[in-house]
Amino acid sequence: MLQFNESLVALDIEAVEAKAVIDLLAERLHAQGLVSADYGAQTWARELQHPTGLPTKPFCIAFPHADAQGVNQSALAVASLKHAVRFKNMGDPDEDLDVLLVFMLANRDPEEQIATLRNLALLFGQPEKLIALQSRSTSREALTWLRRELRLGEDGKGAAELRKGGSLGA
Amino acid sequence: MAKLIAVVCGAGINTSTIAEDQIREKVEREGLRDVEVKRILYPDIERFIGMMTVVVSMTKIFRTDLGAPTVQGMPFLIGTKEEKEALLDKIIQMVKAA
Repeated sequence: MLQFNESLVALDIEAVEAKAVIDLLAERLHAQGLVSADYGAQTWARELQHPTGLPTKPFCIAFPHADAQGVNQSALAVASLKHAVRFKNMGDPDEDLDVLLVFMLANRDPEEQIATLRNLALLFGQPEKLIALQSRSTSREALTWLRRELRLGEDGKGAAELRKGGSLGA
Repeated sequence: MAKLIAVVCGAGINTSTIAEDQIREKVEREGLRDVEVKRILYPDIERFIGMMTVVVSMTKIFRTDLGAPTVQGMPFLIGTKEEKEALLDKIIQMVKAA
């Protein structure tokens, strides 16, 4: 099951660079024992080699993650930024993107999180959804909204719902 | 010989899985047989040259000697439903034509 709770949502943070955002989210995950202490460093190292900035509309987002090593339990952490920080474009590492939302999916096993990945990809493709998320004013609201969008349910109940409606483009 | 749709990404765990999942579902919906969809790490791609029918790239590919047509897979991550479906159709056409 994917761990995603109020402490894993950081709104309106003031960061001057991508690394600071990654470190902050990794620290929050580590505080709950979900990832190892060096997950932030691992993720940053991977980001430098294989960037995860995405040219979404109306503003760009980033999707940083490291390998499964270092992940004790699959978890999602999300940050919205007061001012954009630069990530490199996944599709073209020479291009800088101004990112306002960061989704860190610490994933132990991609097959296990396939439904969440699918729902994230649906979200990323809808400008109005990204605006809706960014305009939530409290972590609690953002969490509730995102859990519903990603069909995570409240306590694992989301699974049945997913089987009914989680498929893409069908 | 089975056809191979290769989803290539940098160090992939999340990104390529998103594309692989959508392509695999489409292949099943189309009832295509003998088509394999596989995630391949860019550093490992050498081993698959000559075996790939279509390369779906989630990262920038700097080489042209892959022996298979390459499409940019980014819409699977950030495209609209329509863009995702259009890309799936294009990949299926390429596989059928190969």
